[in-house]
Amino acid sequence: MVMGIVFALVNVLVFVLAAPFYDGVARRLTARVQSRKGPPLRQPYLDILKLLGKENLTSAEGWPFKLAPLAALASILAVVTLVPLGARANILSHRVDVITVIYLLVLGGVSVLLGALASRNTFAMIGASREMMTMIMVEPVLAMTLIMTAVKVNSLGLQGVLAGVGASGFGLSTGLMLAVYLLALQAFVARQPFDIAEAEIEILEGPFIEYSGPSYAMFKLYMMIKQMFYAFLFVSVFLPAVRTGFYPLDVLLQLAAVLAVVVFIAVVGATNPRLRIDQAVRYYAALIFLSLCAVGLALKGL
Amino acid sequence: MWLTSKIKQILMVLKPGVVTLKYPFEPRPAPKDFRGAPRWDHTKCVGCGGCANHCPARTIMTRDICQEIRILLYDGSRCTYCGRCADLCPEKAIAMTSDFELATPSREDITTTLELFMLTCQRCGRCFDMEITNVIDKLDLRGYRYDDLEARAVLRRTSDRLDTALLEETENTSRPAE
Amino acid sequence: MTAVEVVKKLKEEFGAAVTAAESPSPDRSFVDVERAGLRAVSHRIVGLGGRYIVSIGTDEIDRNGTLGLIHTFAFDADRWAMAVRTSAPAADPVFDSITPDIPNAGWSEREYMDLLGLTFTGHPKPKRLVLADDWPEGVHPLRKEVPYNLMPPAAEDVAYRLDEAPPGTTVIPIGPFHSSLHEPEHFALYVDGETIKGCDYRGFMTHRGIEKLCQTQVSYNEVPFVAERICGICGSVHATTYAQAVEAAAGIRISRRAEYIRTIVLEIERLHSHLLWLGVAGHLIGFDTVFMQAWRVRERIMWLSERMTGNRKTYGMVVIGGVRRDITQEIAEEIGEVLAAVEKETLALKRSIIGDTSIHRRTKGVGVISKEESVRWSLVGPVARARGIDIDARRDHPYAAYDDMAFDVPVVASEDVWGTLVVRVLEIFESIKILRQALRNMPSDGPLLAEVAEALPPLRHAFSLVEAPRGEAAHYVITGEENRPERWRVRAPSYPNLQAVPLMLLGDQFADFPIILGSIDPCFSCTDRVAVIDVRTGRRRVLARRELENISRRGKG
Repeated sequence: MVMGIVFALVNVLVFVLAAPFYDGVARRLTARVQSRKGPPLRQPYLDILKLLGKENLTSAEGWPFKLAPLAALASILAVVTLVPLGARANILSHRVDVITVIYLLVLGGVSVLLGALASRNTFAMIGASREMMTMIMVEPVLAMTLIMTAVKVNSLGLQGVLAGVGASGFGLSTGLMLAVYLLALQAFVARQPFDIAEAEIEILEGPFIEYSGPSYAMFKLYMMIKQMFYAFLFVSVFLPAVRTGFYPLDVLLQLAAVLAVVVFIAVVGATNPRLRIDQAVRYYAALIFLSLCAVGLALKGL
Repeated sequence: MWLTSKIKQILMVLKPGVVTLKYPFEPRPAPKDFRGAPRWDHTKCVGCGGCANHCPARTIMTRDICQEIRILLYDGSRCTYCGRCADLCPEKAIAMTSDFELATPSREDITTTLELFMLTCQRCGRCFDMEITNVIDKLDLRGYRYDDLEARAVLRRTSDRLDTALLEETENTSRPAE
Repeated sequence: MTAVEVVKKLKEEFGAAVTAAESPSPDRSFVDVERAGLRAVSHRIVGLGGRYIVSIGTDEIDRNGTLGLIHTFAFDADRWAMAVRTSAPAADPVFDSITPDIPNAGWSEREYMDLLGLTFTGHPKPKRLVLADDWPEGVHPLRKEVPYNLMPPAAEDVAYRLDEAPPGTTVIPIGPFHSSLHEPEHFALYVDGETIKGCDYRGFMTHRGIEKLCQTQVSYNEVPFVAERICGICGSVHATTYAQAVEAAAGIRISRRAEYIRTIVLEIERLHSHLLWLGVAGHLIGFDTVFMQAWRVRERIMWLSERMTGNRKTYGMVVIGGVRRDITQEIAEEIGEVLAAVEKETLALKRSIIGDTSIHRRTKGVGVISKEESVRWSLVGPVARARGIDIDARRDHPYAAYDDMAFDVPVVASEDVWGTLVVRVLEIFESIKILRQALRNMPSDGPLLAEVAEALPPLRHAFSLVEAPRGEAAHYVITGEENRPERWRVRAPSYPNLQAVPLMLLGDQFADFPIILGSIDPCFSCTDRVAVIDVRTGRRRVLARRELENISRRGKG
């Protein structure tokens, strides 16, 4: 019981502290691809600290504008509390199912939307409409991934699902889903070629344009944790869990695997131009179709 | 096509490595013949005002304050470092240095003021050597005749942006005691 | 059609309306026409295959009480260009607008409505173009009685009235400050969902009054340095174009060696500009790696320029009569080394992006404008060459030492942004080819600077065309009496190309706006060319932060 609570707290701590590091790695790697030296790895931490110390300009009226960053960060933190880090269930892991996780993830996206709409800025509006489109098209892929494993293990429980592939081994459906997940990864974390909703050159960071100071710091942290979470999700769903019996080592191994995924994200991001939303939507549609196929295959027991 | 391009892109970026320079932590001297901040050699300057005459940015000004003194004022804040002054100086008193780190909080750091002792020509007012034969580059500034108001009028006006405080300062320069 | 044929035809068809014709050189003709015949003659010239370049308005009130108007046209295939001159009494400065026939004349005519107070009957959009919205009516700054440093008081509550938005669209303001614009300009995009249905442009926010300044303040040989600062990318082009125009007007012949050095400088500038554009294009479609890599290659060129001319960008090499610095054997060898490295690296860059389908997806079929429309709109440079129009001033109107150079003009018929990219990348290699030839064949003797022995004759007309990296630059010079030009008109390549942007945008996605605009490589400063003087010195009003916030909030919603 006590250990369960401790593990849940460790989750939050690990994600909050490690997410900026992964972002730093991604930035550094992007810089290397661009023949630049790049910022030091601690830069994202400093960015967040700096933003936290800045004045919070409220350029729009209304509580949704102020609440949105909080809600986004809170929902992503709730998500990371639930997951079994180091393949060790905490007090919450076996009480929730994948529906909760999907719900909380969507809540984060909706919060961004809410903030964008509340800021009443033309560019934020465009960003919001693009974000909405992305959410509608990409979330099903995530849902299918989790549902496919749920089919495999015959349970919607989070702990079972996340260890599902490791337990049931690789099949045709898992292989297909793994490919689809990788193809959708850039869209999950809003990196090139799918950073369409932010697209700084067209719509100037879209939904976040009116945010500053601590509010923006929260959004930034939200984006970083989200990136790490999706990388983590890939690791825990598709890679078999390693149990050394020593909890910190398990966590470290898992984090190392997450690092590899982040490296993948950064390299793909640095070598692709941004797509247009209409092109992206066609791409997502193909992904949804493929992920449905994977679920179908899983139902057939393949 | 897409994949081969991506592979080529990765290969392309691997080769040069990191090209970021360590400047300003390591100095990076300007190459030879760089056009940096101009420097006046007051021992060579004869006060012909050729530089003031042909400065495209109008950032060099001359002003005659009395019978013997001509003030030459260079305001570096508006200088475009084209090097025209150095080109046209008949005495080669101006050199373009390699200084380029010129950012400063105080305008005085990049301002040069020369107080030139002039001899008044009582006869013709054309005492400067008119070495420049190119018609369009000729000095339309004549010699030094403080008493000749018409000659003074030929002095090119610089634009109003030239620091007014500096301008006033030149007005206040007093005649050196005998 | 040759110059003689065209002039003969015009005389036959328009009779007395053509009052005089002169040809100071085989590749230039000046035809004087009656005001009433201007539109018909211009229309006929375009019909005969002339490409409209630009119009020039002049103030001749002091001399004969008239305001002059000159339209210029180029016959690229036959390698000559002409100017059609006319005038109207100052009391009645009304001309027929040629814009209905030649859409690209729209801006030139609007410019002279603002700057000279001319009136054009039949102009489809007689709105203010150059002057600020709070500039008082009836003050025309290019008229000689208006002092160069006139500062009318600023007015509140005046704003440009945008065109009526098409029904069912929302307006997205791009600018005056926006990250895809590198200079302050204002585009209003009328957007339905993400599809662009229309566009209005309010630019000339960086109008610096350079023409007025150079006609009233500085002397002949200072203008090249001012001209160089018209543009931050193709500065040397403007200095060269100006110097060539003055040389042509005054009949100054420069040494062959100086011409070769000018060629080398211009081509090095082209290399830097093409690589810069390639990078910016990558950035505009969100591909920053192309941006950084292109600029990494470009940096070598910048260092080379610094070594050669004493500065990274403002070369300051060109003056009337020749060049200022020599290219020594040592520097020539350095250029050779840099060229080899740049060629190798650009080739690697080209190979890695030319087949990239993800780039194709963002550029193919984007910003389409047909060849016919491009001809009608008189587009120039890589934008035109990407639409299958085979023009290049280096080949068609040879200047400097280009008549000695063997090079290809890449032409692509894809009519989209991708074509522009291909043309510009291929031109990098042509530039390297030209540079190698120039270094090899450069005569080893000859003065750098031809001396001007006598004062330049006043009131001679001449114009010069130079192929800037982003298109053709044209300068028209009328020599003056006070050791400075009487009239100097600059037409940067962005001036015609920018006018066709609304057409290119039509029906495209909003997300494509940056790259479509970027594809013409717009240089707003060049187009605006104009306030060297800090306009409001001493009258600056400092807004309190609270006040500023209020203003910015009021503007929203």
